Amino acid sequence: MRTILVTGANGGLGRAIARAFLDESPDNFVWLGVHSRRDHADQLVAAFPGRCQCLSLDVTQPASWKEAVAQILATHERIDVLVNNAGRHEDALLAHMPVKSWQNVLDTNLNATFHGCQAVLHAMIHQRSGRIVNVASLSALLAPAGQTNYAAAKAGVVALTQSLAKEVARMNITVNAVCPGFIETEALSSLGDDERKAARSRIPMRRFGKPEEVAATVRFLACAEAGYITGSVVKIDGGIL
Amino acid sequence: MEDAPALKERIKNLMVENLMLQVTPAEIGDDLPLFGPGGLGLDSVDALQLVVALDKNFGLKIADPATAKVVLQSVNTIADAVQKKLAA
Repeated sequence: MRTILVTGANGGLGRAIARAFLDESPDNFVWLGVHSRRDHADQLVAAFPGRCQCLSLDVTQPASWKEAVAQILATHERIDVLVNNAGRHEDALLAHMPVKSWQNVLDTNLNATFHGCQAVLHAMIHQRSGRIVNVASLSALLAPAGQTNYAAAKAGVVALTQSLAKEVARMNITVNAVCPGFIETEALSSLGDDERKAARSRIPMRRFGKPEEVAATVRFLACAEAGYITGSVVKIDGGIL
Repeated sequence: MEDAPALKERIKNLMVENLMLQVTPAEIGDDLPLFGPGGLGLDSVDALQLVVALDKNFGLKIADPATAKVVLQSVNTIADAVQKKLAA
């Protein structure tokens, strides 16, 4: 059995990633990291009984990570894949950005990725195998106005990915990042019609990406055949960059 | 408890296997420095793997860099720490 933990599993992208692993093989067991809401994750548990389970996890808290990973190891004695997907954005121009927004976004996107990697590494080194996939963002590579916090956090995730990949490569642990562009999730639904139109016109493919298209890339980076890919940053953006 | 030579042999085997060293266990002297020039040439990533392997095999927990510096000097210092742990 392969044990997989996906954080932010109640969101559109997290659900699609979890679903991709569940569809990939009946041998995959997916732990769904959830925090404030779990309604969508519960639906997944109902649809795949015995194949996935919700796990209460506040990704910003090291103690919560410790507890979550201990529960996984107590149940399955190993953890094969970690997908650091949980994230948030609080966009504002820097001149007016509340300090709290800076801190929240750094905590949830960058510090959480650090805590997650640290929580699973000991077990993965024991196993001498593991896959970590960090969900960054196109904003890490092409930072837009209004996202100094989010872009800095995601750029940090990319750098963390590349550095950690070198640290653990010889233990057969790979660390990669994906950088999604405009993907049809709850985050995009906050845009008005005109904003959506403007955003779409910037995309060479003239359409938004589907969560499943990001999920497929994450699943591939976590599979056995991708064993020589590490420290890679894969953008999934319809050709914007 | 196994005797000291057997324990040192086991530690050397564990090092060669876990760190994928290009030397045989017999080529590692008991007092050979593990790090630095003139020694076995391990780096910080090897040290991390060694810490995990010692925990896994002997239950020896090396919690901080200061302890690691003392314990991970040579096969002899590791064997001492393991023996102390097993005797405790």
